[in-house]
Amino acid sequence: MIISAREKNDVIIFDIEGEIRRSETTNISLHQLVKDQLDDGTRHLLLNFQKVEFIDSFGVGEILASYISTHNLGGKLKIAKMSKKLYLVFQVTMLTKVLDIFDDEETALKSFFKD
Amino acid sequence: MTKNRLYRILSRIVDIKPGEELISISLFSYFFLITTPFYIIKPLRIASFLDKLGANQLYLPYLLTAALMGFVVAFHSKLQVKISKHLLIISSLTFFTLTCFLFWLIFPYNWSWLPLAFWIWANILIIVLITQFWILLNEIFNPREAKRLIGFLGSGGILGGIVGAEVAGLLAKTKLSGYLLLFASGLLIACAFVVNYIFILERKKHSVTDEKDKGRWQELPKGGFKVCFDVVRKSNYLRLKAGAVSIMVIVSLLIDWQFNKVIEEKAVSQNSMTSFFGHFFAGMLFFSFFLQLFLTSSLIKRLGIRLSLMLLPLVLLLFSLGFAVSANIFLAVLIKGSDKGLSYSFNQSVHKLLYIPVSPEIKHKAETFIDMFLYRFAKGIGAVILFLFISIHLKFQYVSLAAVGFILAWIFLNQKISDEYVSTVKQKLKRKWGRADRMVAEKLDVDYTKLVFDTLESKNRSSVLYAMHLFDLIKQDKLTPEVKKIISYKSDEMRISSLGTLFEENETTLIPKTDDYLSEEVLKKEIKEILSLDVYQEVMSNHVEKVLRDKNREAETAKMEVAKAIGLMDSTSPLVQKLDELLHDESPEVRRYAVESAAKLKKREHVRALIQNLSNPLTRDDARAALEKYGQEIVGTLGDYLKNPKMDIGLRKAVASVLARIGTQEAADSLTHRLSEKRGDMDTELIDALDRIRSEKPDVQFPEKIVMTKIAREIKKCYQILIETHDSKLKSKKDEMSKGLPKNLKVSLMNIFKLLGLIYPYEDIMKAYQNAETGTKDSLAYAVELLDNTLKKNMKNIILPIIEDLSLEERVKRCKRILKTFPEG
Repeated sequence: MIISAREKNDVIIFDIEGEIRRSETTNISLHQLVKDQLDDGTRHLLLNFQKVEFIDSFGVGEILASYISTHNLGGKLKIAKMSKKLYLVFQVTMLTKVLDIFDDEETALKSFFKD
Repeated sequence: MTKNRLYRILSRIVDIKPGEELISISLFSYFFLITTPFYIIKPLRIASFLDKLGANQLYLPYLLTAALMGFVVAFHSKLQVKISKHLLIISSLTFFTLTCFLFWLIFPYNWSWLPLAFWIWANILIIVLITQFWILLNEIFNPREAKRLIGFLGSGGILGGIVGAEVAGLLAKTKLSGYLLLFASGLLIACAFVVNYIFILERKKHSVTDEKDKGRWQELPKGGFKVCFDVVRKSNYLRLKAGAVSIMVIVSLLIDWQFNKVIEEKAVSQNSMTSFFGHFFAGMLFFSFFLQLFLTSSLIKRLGIRLSLMLLPLVLLLFSLGFAVSANIFLAVLIKGSDKGLSYSFNQSVHKLLYIPVSPEIKHKAETFIDMFLYRFAKGIGAVILFLFISIHLKFQYVSLAAVGFILAWIFLNQKISDEYVSTVKQKLKRKWGRADRMVAEKLDVDYTKLVFDTLESKNRSSVLYAMHLFDLIKQDKLTPEVKKIISYKSDEMRISSLGTLFEENETTLIPKTDDYLSEEVLKKEIKEILSLDVYQEVMSNHVEKVLRDKNREAETAKMEVAKAIGLMDSTSPLVQKLDELLHDESPEVRRYAVESAAKLKKREHVRALIQNLSNPLTRDDARAALEKYGQEIVGTLGDYLKNPKMDIGLRKAVASVLARIGTQEAADSLTHRLSEKRGDMDTELIDALDRIRSEKPDVQFPEKIVMTKIAREIKKCYQILIETHDSKLKSKKDEMSKGLPKNLKVSLMNIFKLLGLIYPYEDIMKAYQNAETGTKDSLAYAVELLDNTLKKNMKNIILPIIEDLSLEERVKRCKRILKTFPEG
């Protein structure tokens, strides 16, 4: 799994490539990267899932932990460009009830400043 | 005069901030220019009335004013809706200037009805103009600004009274006495210019055009006396305020009568009486002025709204009781002086502050009704009560006791008002976010979610693991048609198929085709029976031994299967003993399955291995969930790890979060006692864990002494960060400060509020924190106001300098001053 960060419209976007799973996590986890951003004062985070092929239960834990850490500080963490099949799994497991998931990056970016 | 110089001069006498000097001076002048003409008119009004109609006719202007005020209120409310406040105030000033000039022209004709008309006109003038002044003041400033400046601004009105009365007194004895009303007209014109300048300043500040301003007033519902009355009737807070004002007016009237009665009895001649009244009123106004300018703001800040509201009634209660015992001239002066002296200054400011948390549209109507109508109406009621007392020849001391009764009712209402005031301030603040862990737990079954993902993940890895996951789903009645659909796909298909193809009829399925008639209950029963068979245990024991001895990488999946299978067995099964070894396996995947099984079996012997798994980020989340399932029984063990400084810090932090999830009183105690440690390397995690317990378990108690000590330490840390930032010559640090609070200060501030939430009402503290942290200037002001009314005195004294809207210089100055007397430890 490769995670790279970029900034757009005051939102930090994590472009994630590969599979978010325990066996793919080596040096630093997604949650740790999110926490580092929060420590730097960032409060708007977007996870770009365009190149995420699969996630396991560890990945789910990482996403939820990142979401909780961000929201506990009054921030927002959202997801964009998730594949339809992964979205279906998120729907069935009701993760979509908690997480804000958008089809495209622009809509997701705008949503940070709507509410 | 430059703004800086003006600021330097003003800041010596009033707690003013840069940028507020022009608006403050203008409002001071506005108030001054209302009361100066009025106090020129007032002596003329009394003198002309007594001269032409006599004191016995005084009931007439009182009654007519009370009756007419209803029409004035109705007309004023309608104008409020139709025109901008700028136009309304300027029109009112123009009207009173012209009518004042008209009275000056017709006064020499000595018509008999003129003094009565003049009296009523003068009453309407002062009520309308003063009400408009307070409405504008409340619109311009938020509660904190108003609290700081109200003493100074109010003193403008009292100074105007002194100047106006003195001007009238001096000119009345000269040939210029005929020009008093002309002079008053001139002052009202000057007032209109000042008001115009105030609106120019406000427009510059907010870029509000006249049209926009008008629009704001037009948004209000159609006004009128009934609308104003309904606004007060429908609000508990305003009803209480109206009640308190009514009683205050009645008490004041009774005191006034008692005072006049004593003076009348003691005075030897009319001249001596006039002389006494002259000196008395001048002294009283001077006392009010001094109190208003130098003491009101600081007293209100020091006492807070609750005690400030009690000051006047308590003073009057004391003197009225004294008066009931012995009615002498000394007490008469004291009681009358305190009543009017405090009413014109301190009490007026406190009552105006009570309007601040009320929304503008309601405030205008309530203020119009209470200040313009109710005040006069209550005076009428008071006069009727007094008339009854006099007609039944009630003894002097009984009137004092009746006043005591009214004062007690007034104190009761004030107590209710201060409670309502705090709740009104609270309503102004919205909680911006709650703890997300709580929300996630409420909306999501995390175990089930992970199980579905594990089931999908295991399809490619091992059919055994996959079957066991399916069995888990069946056991939990979670193998719904939707889940079946998702997991029915080969994983490759899952990764490439589109949503459309996913729902095609003839999909390939990996779910074993089971007999529909084989119920899930039967399946559960059969598997349980197989797992508990001795022969199964024997065969499996050999298999497990073999797998555990295998050091090849390929054995990882087999170990995962074993770790998962143990979780399906009975806790008494001999194979469960092998779980400890799996919990220490080098593969995080194997350990993770072992952790999950340990959570199902909940055997004490696995606790230490589970805690060890907290130190690794790859197994931490699962270990945390597993330990949480043990609950209260492992709190002691977790506490031992928490207090052991030799343990890995990551592990100890994770232990703190497990205790937070368990959330019992013992778990909270274990965490709270660690707050006493001076190392501070786990402060944020400990405090966050306690905050989580507080948010989820309101019944859990936290030892106040430990929490208070920790808060004091955190505040001291904040002070030091601020002073260091300020004193540092490093430009980078000052830049950081100008952008916002430094990172470590933000963390410290968050910790302080979470700690405050443990011992004060949690919702209120969180509202205050979130609005102070992310809100506008006004929401910060309301947040500070809420804290001011919620925290104990010693606590708010040390916290508010960090929160309040102050410049860095001022903040550091206050911090340094407090640090000199800051408690040690």
